[in-house]
Amino acid sequence: MRATSRASNPAWYQDSLDLDFQLHIRTAGDTITTFYHDRKQAKWSAGPTLSDEILRDPTKVESLILESVRFARSNGATSLGVILHIADEFATTEIKPELDNPAALQELRETVIQDPGSILEDTSIIADQGTWRVLPYPAAGSAAIATTIALSRQYAPLLLQMTEIGENGNFPIITHALAAPLVAIMGLSQTLQSTPGKPFVAILQYPWFTTLAFFNEHGDLRLIRTLQHRGLRRPTNFRNALSTTNASLEFIDPDLFLVPLGSNVDPTLDADLKITFTNSRVEMIQQKAIEGIPSWCPEPGIAAEPAPEAVPENTSHTFTVLREEKWSLQNFLPTPKEVVEIFPAHNEMRLLKIARLARVAVVALAILCISYFVFGMFEIIRQPEWAFDSSQADIAKGRLAKLTLEKSKSAHWDNLLDDRSKAWSNMEFLSRLFPANGGMLVKTYTHSSKANSTPGQAKIGLIKEWKMTGSARDEALDYLNTLNTREGISAHFTDVARITGNNAFDPSIGNRNIVVNVRTQENSNYKPTPPEESSDADESTYPFTFDLTITQRFETEDPLAITTAKAP
Amino acid sequence: MHLYRNSIMIFGIVIPTVLIAALVGVSFVVKGKLAASFENKMANFKTFQQGQKAGQAIEREVTLQRQHLERWDTLVKQDTASAVTTQLREISEHLPSKEIQQTAFERSAGKGSLAGTAAQNSSQIRIAFRGTYRTMQKAFLELETRMPQLQLEDLKIDPSNSLTSLLNFQVTYTAWEK
Repeated sequence: MRATSRASNPAWYQDSLDLDFQLHIRTAGDTITTFYHDRKQAKWSAGPTLSDEILRDPTKVESLILESVRFARSNGATSLGVILHIADEFATTEIKPELDNPAALQELRETVIQDPGSILEDTSIIADQGTWRVLPYPAAGSAAIATTIALSRQYAPLLLQMTEIGENGNFPIITHALAAPLVAIMGLSQTLQSTPGKPFVAILQYPWFTTLAFFNEHGDLRLIRTLQHRGLRRPTNFRNALSTTNASLEFIDPDLFLVPLGSNVDPTLDADLKITFTNSRVEMIQQKAIEGIPSWCPEPGIAAEPAPEAVPENTSHTFTVLREEKWSLQNFLPTPKEVVEIFPAHNEMRLLKIARLARVAVVALAILCISYFVFGMFEIIRQPEWAFDSSQADIAKGRLAKLTLEKSKSAHWDNLLDDRSKAWSNMEFLSRLFPANGGMLVKTYTHSSKANSTPGQAKIGLIKEWKMTGSARDEALDYLNTLNTREGISAHFTDVARITGNNAFDPSIGNRNIVVNVRTQENSNYKPTPPEESSDADESTYPFTFDLTITQRFETEDPLAITTAKAP
Repeated sequence: MHLYRNSIMIFGIVIPTVLIAALVGVSFVVKGKLAASFENKMANFKTFQQGQKAGQAIEREVTLQRQHLERWDTLVKQDTASAVTTQLREISEHLPSKEIQQTAFERSAGKGSLAGTAAQNSSQIRIAFRGTYRTMQKAFLELETRMPQLQLEDLKIDPSNSLTSLLNFQVTYTAWEK
């Protein structure tokens, strides 16, 4: 796409007659004329000088074409349409009679290009040597629905060379080869005025041949004949041919319109026809003048100019279809398919352009997506967590495990070494349980602490027991009875806990349970003695004996319960 | 005609689109992997931070306990019987000798009733004294303060047969050992 302007310049895919700047070349045997046509300004001007030698030798055409391109560029054109009007040859070939089907005209039009041999009656033709195009006979009652116009391929190399020069210069040069007589016939509607209700014959006088176009009384084409001059100024059997054709078409005294289409055609034909065909209206047609074009070569003007208003009497079906369906503007020497197919078609160029845009869009979208991803990645990498070394986590985990172990160890020994059972505090407990001068004498004291093991528990509860026996006087009984209550013994425990600071005596912690049992009896050895004679250490002076049992339970949930596990 | 349509479609649209889609896909996968790696790093970082915070809290606790733990460790590692003997001797030196007399010392390798089913190593020692109430209480207070691994299992106090104010003390300890 970078090397060609095909994507940006639509002229590459337009018809040469639709381009704004055109070079018209008319080959009429003895004269070759060229014209430039600026469609935008509707101006005609003289073209470059072209000789028959250059026309026949394509290698010499390059300088002419380059000059035309320069001229086109200087006129602001971006393309050049080259229209070749072939007026030095014209022949008709009939199509096979079995193909006379008006509905198949379009199919015939295509087939004659692809495979002319399949529809032409003359089986001896060689397709490579000529080029054929169908021309319909729209008149009702025609013997055939159409004929074919045959031209040689002598100018094909010339047009191909022009196309290649355009390709090489990246400047669209679009060629088109027209059969000049067909264009001239199409232009008749603008110039002649036939007698109403009468058929007419258009006699196209070219330097090397004369074409006869027979129209019926409705102005529709019935037949075309070409008579070669064979070195003379007119065909030798012209009058005879005209008469016999008129007779065969049952034309009675048709109007005869002479159309001189060469600078040096026979000027006496008009007078001769008037002598021969006395009952016919014989008229010389004068072409409408176009500035810059001689009147005897009207074909460029007819082909390039938009359809002018026709003479009302001649607006027949024939003239309509010849222009609208472009039967007269058929390209006899199109660029060969193998050359055309070197480059992408117009749709493909458009597809390329769309693909390019689509690629840009997709790339832009991809860049956006990738930018989003990169930005996201950048955001991630910027986070402090990204720079974090995972081994630090392992180190921290190891340190935490070590500290946890140390904590567990500390908790373990803290538990085991807790003040759950101490001799000194038990002695304080005893001394405060039986205060001096309390009227009591303790004889024995035993204390035990043992585990209350329950298998499967993480901690072991405790059972503590205190057993005391002794003697008591009357005044101590109330005290002993007070101790024998839950409140009384709990108050004592609380008091000891407060004084010693030993929580083992605190009955409010956990779910501790204290059971007390005091039993008093009369002392069988009691000897009543006056108070002043009695000794505190003499058991016989105490009227009562007692035994006191206290049991304290610590459950497994108690803070002083013993950890069963070994030190970690 | 349209000889190039397929080529244009393939080379102009399909292949570039596929390549770019692949590039975007690769970027997506790379970012996905990066994000997954980042999630992992974040989890590690969070664990690290939590571990650090928890470690600091534990360390504060442990630091306070560390000196005790070291002392406890020394205590539970030593031989209980000789340690008790040594401590008692030292304690007795500061108390009136008439008010505290050690009359028996017995050690037992088996577990006492207090250790129960605890897995921690322990031993049992039984000591008998004759002494006054308060002096003995002082002695026990000193001994149990110096050797917190001693847990009282049994204590028996009864009057001495002599006419003195001395009492008989029989004490059994469970000593935690390492």
